[in-house]
Amino acid sequence: MVKLEYKLIPKIAVVEDVREETPNVRTFYLRVDDLGQEPLPGQFNELYIPGGGEVPISVSDIVEVNGRKLIAHTVRFIGSVTWMFSRLEKGSRIGIRGPYGKGWPIERLRGRDILLVAGGLGLAPLRPVIREVERNRGLYGRLIILYGARTPRDLLYRYEYHRYEDIPNTELLVTVDKATSSWRGHVGVVTKLIPLVELDVENTIALVCGPEIMMRFTVKELKKRGFKDNQIYLSLERRMKCGVGLCGHCQMGPYFVCKHGPVFPYWFIKKYFWVDQI
Amino acid sequence: MSLTGLYYGKPVELVKLFNTLKSRGYKVIGPKVVEGVIRLEELGSYEELASNVSDIQEPGRYRLVDGGKYFRHGPDSPKKMLYPPRLTLFRITKDYRIEVPEVEVPKIAFFALKPCDLAAIQVMDRVQGCLGDAYYNLVRRNLVIVVENCVEPGGTCFCATMGTGPIASKGFDVAFTRIRDDLVVFEAGSSLGVELLDELELEPLDEKLYREFIDVVRRAYSKARPIELPDKLPELLELTLDSDMYKEIAEKCLGCANCNMVCPTCFCFDVIDIPYYDGSAERVRVWDGCFSYNYAAVAGGHYRPDLWARYRHWFLHKFSYWVKQFGTYGCVGCGRCITWCPVGIDVRDTLRRAIKEAEKHG
Repeated sequence: MVKLEYKLIPKIAVVEDVREETPNVRTFYLRVDDLGQEPLPGQFNELYIPGGGEVPISVSDIVEVNGRKLIAHTVRFIGSVTWMFSRLEKGSRIGIRGPYGKGWPIERLRGRDILLVAGGLGLAPLRPVIREVERNRGLYGRLIILYGARTPRDLLYRYEYHRYEDIPNTELLVTVDKATSSWRGHVGVVTKLIPLVELDVENTIALVCGPEIMMRFTVKELKKRGFKDNQIYLSLERRMKCGVGLCGHCQMGPYFVCKHGPVFPYWFIKKYFWVDQI
Repeated sequence: MSLTGLYYGKPVELVKLFNTLKSRGYKVIGPKVVEGVIRLEELGSYEELASNVSDIQEPGRYRLVDGGKYFRHGPDSPKKMLYPPRLTLFRITKDYRIEVPEVEVPKIAFFALKPCDLAAIQVMDRVQGCLGDAYYNLVRRNLVIVVENCVEPGGTCFCATMGTGPIASKGFDVAFTRIRDDLVVFEAGSSLGVELLDELELEPLDEKLYREFIDVVRRAYSKARPIELPDKLPELLELTLDSDMYKEIAEKCLGCANCNMVCPTCFCFDVIDIPYYDGSAERVRVWDGCFSYNYAAVAGGHYRPDLWARYRHWFLHKFSYWVKQFGTYGCVGCGRCITWCPVGIDVRDTLRRAIKEAEKHG
């Protein structure tokens, strides 16, 4: 008789804090004693609710409270498992394993201007990049953040936009598809912001995350502005059930999105990116 | 790789070989007739090994008939033992304690396994070796493989296309070939194989028998329906990504995932939660297949809602993507997906058509 060492066995984390972002999105700050490696910007964890199942959720922040690091995950209650997250509160326990996948190309960003294009929940995996620039401001060029959500109510992290704007040499443009009467900002999809910003295209790397359709239009707009294929990085979303390239569910063409991605250079996946239902 | 070259003996030597494995404590698994189908099951004695039956296999058709000498593999493949359809990963108690159950790792010897299934194990070695499935690797470590070379490939076989059969060339402990009713050719492919043959009474092949053996092998190859595969097939096939051929082929597809389940190399799984009344839950790994609707469904969407897209993914995975992922094809030409497809979709036709279609592009 032997005990098998599966890669699929989670650690138990404690929910230290819950923050309501929008009516159906909350950020959970998790304390994990022995997760192992600290998640890099763009990586994700598999979060497990016993009796429910596991979901891959990107790391949206790492904060230090009383000398302990908490890993933040921003979750939208949309499926059978994520709905169960709405019951979690401070002190709740949850399974976690990770971090998994290839994150944003931080090394390549050094010395360059960074253009972030985020749609909806897509801001969550990009937030660690903003934090990195904030922490090591001197290492990077300009930071331009373009963010779009459906309505003002759906905007994530509104409480910290001033913090983004306080980072030297940083621009934040926010748009909503459908404005309310009190909205004073841009209206329309996020791709409409791309022609509005001044860019030194040659020296800029674009990081994109959002719904698949938004990413397609974003790539088109970026190409219009002269971005080369190797200056665009996309974070793809698939059904990453296992996170370690074992279960097959997240395949996009020959790639296991969980292992080879979720962040891909555009040239690398270009061949498959436009294929219907790949 | 043959360590011994070719030797021959009487069929009774097979019984001895079988009994040696038994006496060494192996769970001997081989083809056995169960409810009118050849299954891979544990054999209590040599007599339980399927014999005096033959099968008819055609697209969407399987029949076992009494009499005759030759039968092919049924729906089971070694995957069933090495990568169980259902495996409990852990239990989690109400107070969040994780309990990993202890499992018994069986010491398995496959007896009279077909070369295509041996090849499937080698493909799984690449997949699970890369992916590191704990259970697979433990069973594999102790695995003994006695291959029966296929002298009469069946109606849906195309191992010669994939280069996996009908005669095994490497990766076995012992391979045998029934070239006549009263004469069996043996060879050892590992040091354990040599040890096993050491218990038997065998003679080296003389020239006449060697010629006879080669004739049998040649006949078998021609029956294993070789399709000529062009160079750079994986890259070539990707030229069909936008082809409508998949829509036409998949018009018949039911999305039942039978092909996934009988495929000896399909490795996809799902992990399901089984909650209990006491507040605990069990995490269970179960086989999954890219044809099932839920496979690519996510909350708020679906990556492959249409069957043709699932068919294309499956086909290109086997013949194109797999090579990029694991350095080998995902298909061994066993033909199970053809036989067990309820509507008889024939992957050999798809392969021929895709090659033609892709070459048209070039």
